[in-house]
Amino acid sequence: MTEKTEKPRERRGMSLADRLSVSRFAKTTVDCGVLSDALRTRFGDGIVSLEVREHKGGRADEVQSRDLWVEVTPETFRPFVEELFAYDFVNFHVISGNDGGDDVALNYHFSLFQRERGGRIGVVCTVRVPKSDLSLPSIFDLLPGSEYSERETREMFGVDFAGLPNKALVFLPEDWNEEIKPWRRDAAGPAPELVRELS
Amino acid sequence: MSTTYTIPVGPVHVGLKEPVTAWLELDGERIVSARVRPGAIHRGIEFMARERNPIQVIYLSERICGICSFSHVMCFIRAVEDLANLSVPVRAQYIRTLVLELERVHSHLLWAGVACYTIGFDSAFHLGMQLRERVMDVLELLSGNRVNYGVATFGGVRWDVTPQLDKAIREMIRYYRREFTPFREIVMEDPVAQARMRNVGVLTREDAVCYSATGPTARASGLRVDLRKSSPYEAYADIPVEPVVPQDYFDAARGDVLDRFAVRVLEVYQSLDILEKALDGLPEGPFVAEPNLNKVLVSLKKAEGTGWGIIEAPRGDDTHAVHLKGGDDNVFWWKVRAPTYANAVSWPVMFRGNELADAPLIINSIDPCISCMERMMVTGSSAGVVTKAELLKRCRQKTFDLKARGFERGVER
Repeated sequence: MTEKTEKPRERRGMSLADRLSVSRFAKTTVDCGVLSDALRTRFGDGIVSLEVREHKGGRADEVQSRDLWVEVTPETFRPFVEELFAYDFVNFHVISGNDGGDDVALNYHFSLFQRERGGRIGVVCTVRVPKSDLSLPSIFDLLPGSEYSERETREMFGVDFAGLPNKALVFLPEDWNEEIKPWRRDAAGPAPELVRELS
Repeated sequence: MSTTYTIPVGPVHVGLKEPVTAWLELDGERIVSARVRPGAIHRGIEFMARERNPIQVIYLSERICGICSFSHVMCFIRAVEDLANLSVPVRAQYIRTLVLELERVHSHLLWAGVACYTIGFDSAFHLGMQLRERVMDVLELLSGNRVNYGVATFGGVRWDVTPQLDKAIREMIRYYRREFTPFREIVMEDPVAQARMRNVGVLTREDAVCYSATGPTARASGLRVDLRKSSPYEAYADIPVEPVVPQDYFDAARGDVLDRFAVRVLEVYQSLDILEKALDGLPEGPFVAEPNLNKVLVSLKKAEGTGWGIIEAPRGDDTHAVHLKGGDDNVFWWKVRAPTYANAVSWPVMFRGNELADAPLIINSIDPCISCMERMMVTGSSAGVVTKAELLKRCRQKTFDLKARGFERGVER
């Protein structure tokens, strides 16, 4: 783990295009503690919870990498992702999620700083989307690699992504009844008679 | 006046190891744009896990994919270990690393062979398949199975490295160091093979970053990304790994099919080195923290939380997220993201400007997952149906045409 504690670059005056510049990919590694403090300062109450998890390994059983688990409010979500771009071009992995009853909790899995040994920080950004308004801003314009995940989340949970150009089904069959959202646990989910029991 | 027509390649097709549909818009032989539609093999495996306990899901996750099955197992297990704070004995970490690297050697050899087959280079294909046998023998000696090894479990592994296996792996390493180089030279120095792969299916560095490409696909575009370096897990904590990128070996990273071929081939040598280091450094001690599965299940029943497992699989980073609910026997929810899920987003970019005959090669070049069936239909204005055999013939014919034209090295396509 690198011990670089240099301050992240000055953000003010930096346009979105600058932040998204690919040339910035993996240039500077920022320490996980510094990153989490900076994010707390920047978003305040927008961050519901924040946890740093360490992964140990090897003969010495030392910390090899760190993950940052952040829960943000739906309003903070898009600015939060844009803020991550101030540190590094974000590597997108996937959106995981769960029907939590009153809301659908989505976890965005990102990576930052993949250049130096042990420098990577995994960022899990959780956002609870209330079922009364199942929509979230799309991050497709920032990260085109998120297309399949947003489409999958849309068809499986019924979360609408504002700004996603292609909202067609991605994994479900063409003749699927789009009223049924397979991963929901409420009335919108598949009825028991639709589930084929395997022995 | 140019007319474009749209044809689907897939969902089942000889060039594809996994059922997926690529709608290609063609102007003559040139691909103008492409649209990819997966979903033909969606099995709802994440849904199935909701009715199984974590130990049953280990074996379910192993069956997501036949080639990189151990990667999925490791990802799932690491996600559960992450949420339940289970520790793994250091000997088990080394054995896991051994199997991960054996699997990488297997996966890359298989892919290199199939890539040769796709371009009609049959002798190299057979050579690749012959080379692959040796690593499968070693895996069989370790676990009893050639695929789906059933090696890992929570808090360790199920099989130990015996002196016999140690010897077999070392012999395998010597065998590959001796026999793999001729294969590499036969393919990579062949002018026709170069012509079929050079500047085909290009993914630029910028696009690789934007589309979150991963693994050899990203590295072939020049990105120095490898989770074995950026967040060392298991024994990679003790064994340094440097990402293999073409610019370190050749003049530059072009991000084409040949670069993807080169990266995988060079990674085989890297894996052999890692295997040797892991064997030399194999620590003594237990290889599983708690051999009694009932005790493991009881402790997992109490665990609550979400875990994230991410490792560098042969094809790129593999991500699993798991949630266990306290008091619940079964996995509450589970999300799997195989590397192809990420790399497939880049397909439309790679297709642009290439020829129809290159389509199977481009699709294969990201090494998509398993299962191959074959058929292709042409819709719209064109004449009739092009069968699987026809398209494969075209792809191979292109190579023969090149040869017939007295192709010489250095001549541009």
